[in-house]
Amino acid sequence: MDSLHAIGFYVSSGVLLIGGLGVALLPGRELRGAALAVVGVGLGGLYVSLAAGFAAVVALICYLACGALVAGPRYRSVEVVVGPLWRQVGALGAAGLLVVIIYAAFRGDFVTAKFFGGAFGVSAIGRLLFAHDALATEAVAALVLVSLAGATAVWRVRERAR
Amino acid sequence: MAGQGEGALSASLVAALFVAAALVAVGVFTAVWRRDVTAALGGIPLILGGAGVAFVGVARFAAAGSPHLFGQEFAVLLAIAAVALLALGLGIAGREGAR
Repeated sequence: MDSLHAIGFYVSSGVLLIGGLGVALLPGRELRGAALAVVGVGLGGLYVSLAAGFAAVVALICYLACGALVAGPRYRSVEVVVGPLWRQVGALGAAGLLVVIIYAAFRGDFVTAKFFGGAFGVSAIGRLLFAHDALATEAVAALVLVSLAGATAVWRVRERAR
Repeated sequence: MAGQGEGALSASLVAALFVAAALVAVGVFTAVWRRDVTAALGGIPLILGGAGVAFVGVARFAAAGSPHLFGQEFAVLLAIAAVALLALGLGIAGREGAR
């Protein structure tokens, strides 16, 4: 990775994390939507610096859409009844997760590990689903999608009839 | 993160995984900290974005011999899943909020 891409990587990472913190901490749905759009810009720049241009374009579009959804007029606020103690426990859990993942990333030995799972290994299943039986997998996925859309349509019709 | 040459700036797999870890943690923090369920849904794209960064980083730096498209495919899938999950969650919350 040359210096230009490295600079892009670190700048995009900063933009990405600032946007993420904005989503977590900013008040108001408009600001949170804008922060999600900033996350999309940062993520797109990061993917470009990692030589993943197509993923950058898709991520940018998807995260801009996420920002528009959050900032849009259809947003409804739903308060959940959870005590502050549990929220603080959850925040501590998030901090612990960060420590664990950073430790795993810093050690980094797992990336050289080899897994011999035999016939049930990840590579065998991936080859089966995405290479040998790709058409069947796509057909089943399309069937599931159509049935979910149909079930949703039936549910909406019944709800309106009530 | 060590430079390749004299004074050259570079990024490594560890740097990419650091960013991914931070993004996942910020997403989890958002999901557990917000009292508003629809605001907590904003954590989902962050978590999936972190996973996407990890996939692309591993495909770029560590998956020797395999094409970079593997990580890119999963990152695309995760980005689409993020917007779909957010739309679904906001739709359900909109129905609940209207009642």
